[in-house]
Amino acid sequence: MGKKLAGHLTSLILALLLGFSLIYYFDIGKKAPVARPDSIIKPYIEMDIDLNDPLRQALFKDMITLYHPEQSSDPDSLLRAVLTYRRDMYEAELQSAHTRQVLNEAKLRQLGIMFLKYVIVYILVLWLTYYGVETLGLIRFIRRKQNKVSYIFELINFLKEASYKKLNTYWRIPTLLVKSVLRGLLYLIFFSPAYVIAYSIKTEFNTNTLIFLILLGLISNGLLITYTNKFYAFLIAESRKGYVLTAMVKNLSNDYRFTQPHGVSLRALFSMRKWFKNHVLNHIYLNAHYQYLGTFKEQASFLISGLIIIEMALNIHGHLSYELLQQLLYKNYDIVIVIVMSIFIIVKVTEIFTDWVIDSKRRVYENRNN
Amino acid sequence: MKNKKQSSFFETLYHHKDRLWSMVWFLGMLLLFIWDMLYLNRPALLKVIDGAMNTFLIAFLVIVFALFIAWLAVNLLFIIRRKGFFVLETVLTFLIDIIRSIPQIIGILLGFVFIAGLLYRNIIQSPMAILLTAVLIAFFVFQELMDLMLDRVNHFRRLDFYQAMTVCGISGSRILNYHILWKNSRRHIFNKVVAIFGVAVFLQCSVDFIISVGLSTDISSMDLPVTLGGLLAHIDSKQDILAIGHAITNPGYFPNLFFKHLQGISVAFSIVFSLLCIYKISNGLSERFRL
Amino acid sequence: MNAWKFQITINANSFCIARIEDFTIQPNRILLLFGESGIGKTMLSKAVYGLLDTEELQVEINGYPYSKYAGSEFVQKIQSTGFFVFQEPSSHLNPVLKIGDQLSEGILGHGQIAEQDKELLWKSPVDKTFDNLQDIYPQPFRPSGGEKQRLLLTMAMRKLNLYLQSEQTEQSGLFVFDEPSGSLDDELRNRFLNLLLQKFTQKPFTCLIITHDYSIIGEIYRKYQQIVSRFDFKELYKDEDKLAVRPFEAGAYLNWISGVKGSQSSIKANGQPVLQFGNRFRVFNRSMGIFKDKGYQQPVDLIIHSGEIVYLKAASGVGKTTLAKIIMGLYRSDHFNMNLAGLSVSEKTSAKVWLKKIWGHKAGMVFQHADEALDLQADVYHIFKGLPGIRINRKVLIQELQRLFENRIDAAFLKKKVLFLSGGQKQRLNLLRVILLNTDLMILDEPLNGLDFNSIRKTLEIIRQEQQKGRAILIISHNEEIFDSFIEQDRIYYLAALKD
Repeated sequence: MGKKLAGHLTSLILALLLGFSLIYYFDIGKKAPVARPDSIIKPYIEMDIDLNDPLRQALFKDMITLYHPEQSSDPDSLLRAVLTYRRDMYEAELQSAHTRQVLNEAKLRQLGIMFLKYVIVYILVLWLTYYGVETLGLIRFIRRKQNKVSYIFELINFLKEASYKKLNTYWRIPTLLVKSVLRGLLYLIFFSPAYVIAYSIKTEFNTNTLIFLILLGLISNGLLITYTNKFYAFLIAESRKGYVLTAMVKNLSNDYRFTQPHGVSLRALFSMRKWFKNHVLNHIYLNAHYQYLGTFKEQASFLISGLIIIEMALNIHGHLSYELLQQLLYKNYDIVIVIVMSIFIIVKVTEIFTDWVIDSKRRVYENRNN
Repeated sequence: MKNKKQSSFFETLYHHKDRLWSMVWFLGMLLLFIWDMLYLNRPALLKVIDGAMNTFLIAFLVIVFALFIAWLAVNLLFIIRRKGFFVLETVLTFLIDIIRSIPQIIGILLGFVFIAGLLYRNIIQSPMAILLTAVLIAFFVFQELMDLMLDRVNHFRRLDFYQAMTVCGISGSRILNYHILWKNSRRHIFNKVVAIFGVAVFLQCSVDFIISVGLSTDISSMDLPVTLGGLLAHIDSKQDILAIGHAITNPGYFPNLFFKHLQGISVAFSIVFSLLCIYKISNGLSERFRL
Repeated sequence: MNAWKFQITINANSFCIARIEDFTIQPNRILLLFGESGIGKTMLSKAVYGLLDTEELQVEINGYPYSKYAGSEFVQKIQSTGFFVFQEPSSHLNPVLKIGDQLSEGILGHGQIAEQDKELLWKSPVDKTFDNLQDIYPQPFRPSGGEKQRLLLTMAMRKLNLYLQSEQTEQSGLFVFDEPSGSLDDELRNRFLNLLLQKFTQKPFTCLIITHDYSIIGEIYRKYQQIVSRFDFKELYKDEDKLAVRPFEAGAYLNWISGVKGSQSSIKANGQPVLQFGNRFRVFNRSMGIFKDKGYQQPVDLIIHSGEIVYLKAASGVGKTTLAKIIMGLYRSDHFNMNLAGLSVSEKTSAKVWLKKIWGHKAGMVFQHADEALDLQADVYHIFKGLPGIRINRKVLIQELQRLFENRIDAAFLKKKVLFLSGGQKQRLNLLRVILLNTDLMILDEPLNGLDFNSIRKTLEIIRQEQQKGRAILIISHNEEIFDSFIEQDRIYYLAALKD
């Protein structure tokens, strides 16, 4: 752990140093005056023509060739130089107006509040996904052990044997159809990037609330489904290991039905700390859980990306990522760097925390605490 | 003893979910294309096709570059470790860890702004921008592939496999590249590449969407190649997506989505449906190959 | 009591991977099942015990689908009072649960660990090894392989005690021991056998022991004459496209083993030794010594001349393979010295020396598990590609393979995936890779691992041929009965830890 922590801290310090030097650099850059126009293009910059229009551009070039053949540079590069100067001027104007912001104490305080809000949402969503991933992954695993197939395959199987079935069982066809459509829809929602969901319901619901942000963070961008599947894959892989067989020959229950006394307890399934007493599933779960901790770092950084996308795409004022986008637009690069650094700090703190959790677990399992 | 029994087409598909979902993806996109041919106006259709082509082209290039960078990094680390250059190894791992700690979306967003700047100043042209975009995304996703390869290498190094070949005098690069990566990991790598294809589509669309929505002024990405994400942010597509909300509260409006709001719906569907199918294909592969 | 007869078919992805018409287990008797590794002994036993995963395999037993068989009263019965000790003990203990908890979990919580069991499996009641293990989690290096094996055996004994205490007389559960001595040396194996047979004499039960350890036969005939009649010795073999069981002639093995002694090589050593390894070395903070006397009195250098076979013995877990890996430069020793074919090597020698001069040139090593040592995904031809100093062509390779395999080898064999070869075939490829290298020294780590009786004979023949060609050979094995006979007494060395 010591080595890892040193690594994390070094990279954190290095990144912060780099960030501060960039801020200093941009601070100087801001004060630099806008360059004076070149003497060659000077006569043309004040001309009242929309040079973005291709037709005008052609006319402009013809004019130069016809009336100013003494011009040393060719018309194309002249046009480019004029356009570039105009854009630079436009940007400078933009900057100097309402968009220009200074990185002072008040701004830092404002950013601090945004940062805090971001961290709270992040921790909440992380906790919810952790619980969701484990519970959903277990449900999927148990359903598989119960030999349940997907609704659509159940439907196809039913239809294949439909001619042997009694008429009064045909009600299953619409039920299964509706179930599979709903399931498909749910999958589409889980896989939708946050902005697709948000814009789909923006007109009817207030999407600018914190609750909506948390909900979106949880279900969209494929986060929950991807990690549920990872956890499920761990459960499947662990269930094939030898120690599960040993547990079985010790006569631990291998019954995955919810309704049986020796089956899987629903209470254990939905509780935060899951423990399936006298059931083979306990062995499988404990190992899969340990493995899942290893991917937690990756999941956290996926979530950070996801939250940034949500905040940026939803255009909610007063949120850290939206602020980042705004400052990027206004070219207040010092503020951009501060925000990027703050996000980097969240990543690093998460990494240090997960490494610590994994390391302390590992110490226990590797008998290094004795 | 190995007698193959006949299994039905349905059974095969059920057991080979990767194939099933590849088929679903292809058919779904084909259906969408036919529908759009019938009901979407030509300029919009061309825009959607262009966007989809660019998106998938970039995602494809991303996996090519990511594979290359990951392979290079793994070989480099392998040689460094074998030769015992401890300091070099620490520095390289440290640098890779720093890239890992930058949230992908931020890295790519800043990179996009940079590429847009290059385009804007006419330093590069559009095809070059596609290549650069792919390299940029690859730079932020290659670690997943590299980690997988390193995991495989470490797994085999722990077994007698590696040592048994080493003491026979078989060269390290042959053991690494032929025996470990090619013979014993190509299925794992292929599966990861499919997943990364999905990640590339997702990141690219998201960044493009954000830039088009958030930075849509003069310095925006207007010169960047159009992708599905950028297309979705366009005002007409955005209106189409907003119409979904309207249809939820007014179900009578629902059919209009498939005729009046086809551009936005097509784009959104292409993104979401592709992401879902790619995920399912990757899952199917890992299940079939028991990865 | 009626015999348990099974007709079993196992398919995976519509491929038939095992089929047997008649697999019979006699209740209240001990069945010793031999056969090549990978042939399907474990799978058949798991099938009978109701442990196969129906998600991966489609199984049919006596005409019933597996789910029906596994749910039958018969299987419930053999499971509820029986036990299954799996091979590879490391993967059969849960790494995130304390050993103590695993030993008293489920039905085991109702049974006792008898003092006698502790005494026999864990050496003596005063030995604290067993008690010290209760509070730890199983990890790759601690407990050791042998200890893990004994932990699983302890579980079995606990369940067996429950059966012995019960009133049940009619039909016992099924006790399966899959390679129970795989990680045990001869002494511990004999202790286990002693304990098992004591319990069997007390009250008979149905027992299936799967093993490659043929020397167990000698032990049974030597010490348990009075109950030999309660044993069935059988061998599982491949009969065209299906599996079959035939009686294994214990007498034939016993005759053969006494004949092996007669074939001891008479080549006399001369000249400079190929390997001279200093009598003491230090590794993993332990000092080790090499001895020629069983009492470990005076350490001596390990010396092997050209044309000589030397056998290195030690109790399990002492570090025979570690020594081999030090010679091969795979483990760094804190202190050692050796002379290998004119090259002086010590702990100060750079790793490059092994890379450039030793590996594949002066020395080669055959690792114990062919399954791990070979690239199972490669084809036979590619196993031999990339070996230094020799140009492999298909024709030469076929000739060499022909020498090792009884059957005719053709070009198609070279294209076969190693994964699909039998255990014996894999072990022979493992051996051939090092034979082809023509190194001065050849180290063989458990060369008989997983082989059936025929393959053992063939492998010993090949080793003898290599010796006659003038190679120096170091053999490491816990198969003492065979190698004690195969190798002259004065060529046997012992390895033991030294007291610091």
